[in-house]
Amino acid sequence: MSFTFSKSQIALAALAVIGATTMTTAPTAATAAGKTPGKYVSGDIHNHTTCSDGSTSMQKLVKKSTDTVDTPWGLDWFVQAGHGGSGNRNCTLAEDASLATPAYPLVYSTAGVLQGPTTTWQNTNPPVNPKGRVSGTAPNQVMWRWQAIQEFQYPVLEYLAAQKNKPMFLGVESVVAGHEHTSMSVITGQMPLALDNAALPATGPYVSLGNSTALAQWEYCFDRNDTDTSRGNTTVDSGIGNNWNCSVTGSANAADPSWSALAQKLIPAGGAGTGDRGHAKTVDAVRWQAEFHGNGSYYIPTHLERAGPFNPNGNNGFNVEHLRNFNNAAPKVAFGFESQPGHGASSDRGEYATRRNNIGGVNTDSAGGTTYGGTGVYSAQIGGVWDALLGEGRNYWFFASSDWHNRGSFGADDRRSTQDFYPGEYQRAYSLVRNGADKLRPQTIVDGMRSGNSFSTAGQLIDRLAFIACASYPGPAARSNAAVEALALNAATNNTDIDVAGCATMGEKLVVRPGAEIVVSIVVRDPSAPNYSPYSFPNPSLKQIGMTQPLNLPVLDHIDLIGGLVTGYKAPGAADYAGQWPNDWVTNQNLANVPVAAKNTSAGIIKTFNRATWASAGNDFLKMTYRMPKVTASQYVRLRGTNLPASVPFETDASGNPLRDLETNSGPVNPSVPGGADGIPENFYLKIPCTTVGTTEFNGCPSHLPTKTLGAYTGKFLALDVAAWADLWFYSNPVYIQVQGSTTVAGVK
Amino acid sequence: MTIATLPTAKATVWPAWLQEPLLHFALLGSLLFAADHFLVARTDDPSSIVVGSAVTSEAKNGFRIARGREPNAEELAALTARWVDNEVLYREGIALQVDQGDTMIRDRVIFKALMLVESGLKLPPVDDATLRAWFETQRVRYDEPARYDFQEAVLAGDTSEAAARAFAQALNAGTPSDAKAGLRVFKGRPLENLVQSYGAEFTKALEEKPQGEWRALPTRDGLRVMRLDTLVAPKPASFEALRNVVLADWTDATMAQLRTDAVRARGKKYTVEVKGTAP
Repeated sequence: MSFTFSKSQIALAALAVIGATTMTTAPTAATAAGKTPGKYVSGDIHNHTTCSDGSTSMQKLVKKSTDTVDTPWGLDWFVQAGHGGSGNRNCTLAEDASLATPAYPLVYSTAGVLQGPTTTWQNTNPPVNPKGRVSGTAPNQVMWRWQAIQEFQYPVLEYLAAQKNKPMFLGVESVVAGHEHTSMSVITGQMPLALDNAALPATGPYVSLGNSTALAQWEYCFDRNDTDTSRGNTTVDSGIGNNWNCSVTGSANAADPSWSALAQKLIPAGGAGTGDRGHAKTVDAVRWQAEFHGNGSYYIPTHLERAGPFNPNGNNGFNVEHLRNFNNAAPKVAFGFESQPGHGASSDRGEYATRRNNIGGVNTDSAGGTTYGGTGVYSAQIGGVWDALLGEGRNYWFFASSDWHNRGSFGADDRRSTQDFYPGEYQRAYSLVRNGADKLRPQTIVDGMRSGNSFSTAGQLIDRLAFIACASYPGPAARSNAAVEALALNAATNNTDIDVAGCATMGEKLVVRPGAEIVVSIVVRDPSAPNYSPYSFPNPSLKQIGMTQPLNLPVLDHIDLIGGLVTGYKAPGAADYAGQWPNDWVTNQNLANVPVAAKNTSAGIIKTFNRATWASAGNDFLKMTYRMPKVTASQYVRLRGTNLPASVPFETDASGNPLRDLETNSGPVNPSVPGGADGIPENFYLKIPCTTVGTTEFNGCPSHLPTKTLGAYTGKFLALDVAAWADLWFYSNPVYIQVQGSTTVAGVK
Repeated sequence: MTIATLPTAKATVWPAWLQEPLLHFALLGSLLFAADHFLVARTDDPSSIVVGSAVTSEAKNGFRIARGREPNAEELAALTARWVDNEVLYREGIALQVDQGDTMIRDRVIFKALMLVESGLKLPPVDDATLRAWFETQRVRYDEPARYDFQEAVLAGDTSEAAARAFAQALNAGTPSDAKAGLRVFKGRPLENLVQSYGAEFTKALEEKPQGEWRALPTRDGLRVMRLDTLVAPKPASFEALRNVVLADWTDATMAQLRTDAVRARGKKYTVEVKGTAP
């Protein structure tokens, strides 16, 4: 959404100043931009059940993710999105009576044994037989994800959404042709309005009112691991079923050498050129979404640094040019990435690691080698890939997700974890959803995600944010800092944004005349109540610098206001369009080595706020304002914040930037080439002692933390879930400022 | 009794066939066979799974914890069947050696073996003299290091030496400390932290008099405008005040050493060959 000053608006402002002594009054309705009201609501778009490689049923995952009593972190909305491809387990079977429902009661074998969600489809009583091109041996034959989505996962999710009156829909973590993984969905057909008044059946089977056929078709057509050729039919060539065709208008389709006439989709060959051919198919995938479901779908590459750089001969990571390609092809669909991965409790945070990926016979680092305060290098590095995309003026937004699979060494109900956190437990992605008086629905949620009016936070570091920028001109159109700060405080207090002409918030652009001053106000709520960490002992990272702060009572230390210039879109094929992040970044962090395509050297910290420079607004709210002097060039501002001060050993540098997470990663490291002898043993890099002795697993360093000797110290070290709870960050999306006569911020309309 | 005191055996005449070596060989062989049969028969039959009272008790206990009541007969049968299924899988897995190369199983076995080693260790007696001597060798752990309260007025944009010095001068003349990109306040940072974050040169420069003045100080990544507010001198720790903490730490350290010694002693029967280079 853009905001420009029309003459009538200036006239209104002039009239307003005549009738008032100051410009601190609230705007009149006449100047309002007319947004549909909404609130910031939290959700998760990436998590797994036993239908892919998760450890829990649909029922258990939904309960864990949305319940606000047993699992107090319950989210406002939820997208269940397991891997694309296939699976042989029936995730619609509940674990126990607490999860059974009238439509989905507990299922027993003919011998009377309870069948949980690890039961195969064909061992289910009665058996469920896979459709399409079936492979493997009964009773372990796999079901294609398109069938699981269409016939089983969607109905149970629709039923649970109606039963719990919670907004939910299905998505997929696609196994991407040419790359690794992407969180995506097509919501068309899901959760129809008729569900609002539906009477749920007293017994099963449940017949859904809506459908996930569009999502299932995308999965069949474009997921790399869906190698079915049946066109979504009962058997190959039967003609009975969906009879899908995967053509995209304007693409080569049947003229493409990779086109399969049998499957009616692209099936690129392997070998040399796999990555290039796969990427081309994936660009088609987002174009298909734009063509058929432009408003009802999204495509968000996930943990996109994990698999290393793009590999033209394999399926690895994403370089900046691939993100540009997706966004160019389908700007309303490919509008962001999950650069803050899940798997936060893993021995390698986010499952990012050095020498992780075998590319051409060399074990290659995840891009950046590891995470930085839990965030991938593309976003964690100021001036890196994300800033490069924002510097073009693109609508490319930051998201976080849980990537829930399991608790690692612990059971699914344990509070400790050596692998994942549940959706909402650690990371929470908030989007402003403009549902007005209506309930939250998939369409308004996707619209909210697409708007970029969102922020992501770990460990409940903050749970409210208002981040606004307003133009101020000399004379009648002047705005005081206090007036703008009051707007932000009002918005944060009401958990909403602003609707004021001449002001913009995250995901929006503020169009101003050259010479305008920009008043940037930030209000956050740093909750004083405990967060969802099970641990109450002092944060070992902060203990290094003499600070005692319980892990479950984190305090926001500072917020960085980051800015960069907008210089316009890079042209495909130009020298500054494509470039790979350096493979040796983890040991040689020098932006000079980053290709020009993947960086924005104008980006930097404009202002850092902390308790010395922000003010309390009561009720855990903090307010702060920065006045940007007369702007002459288009630019953007964004935020990040953390519980860690600058200069915390192995956590932050002297400028408050997150350091590499290697020193809290306990996993072993591969040899530099597969089969080599220079692997690095587990715990090698650990540096931060965990010394608090408790009486339980939660009020002292827990027993699952690794131990080793380092210098004179022998004992436990900070790693795994405790490391995640110690090192918390939030990231906002940007506010754009477009200066008339300067570069147009073309990605935001 | 010694051999010398044994009574002399009376000479006996045995039939010649009883002195045949072949017969002795056959008899010894039969005895060994019988002993082997007897011993093997006493071990578990690998094809037999016995559901004992311990299994039933564990199943009941687990159900009680999960559901808050006793399982009924049907539920107990289902739980037992699941245990049997798992036992089958466990035995099949062991037979297929799926435990080999699994680091989690290796770690678990190491942990159990370490517990066995530890159960045989005995902490030596300790007195205050010993503790005090150990405390003196570990002073770095207990002495309170020098601590620094300081602030950084963060530069914006131009970070050149001229800009840094001009900003420091302006700050000393009364410009607000957050006039540029903000103010960072550091409290009670130990010396080691300063060296690690900014470099040794910075620490020396920070300590230069006069205290409380803004200066452009050299750090490992350029000049920063900073001011030392307070320097708290290092303070040696008192053994008397920390005696119980020292005793706990000495116990941990001594047990760790005993464990290491015990493992190393067992390691002497192995030949260790190092291949490749460590990082």
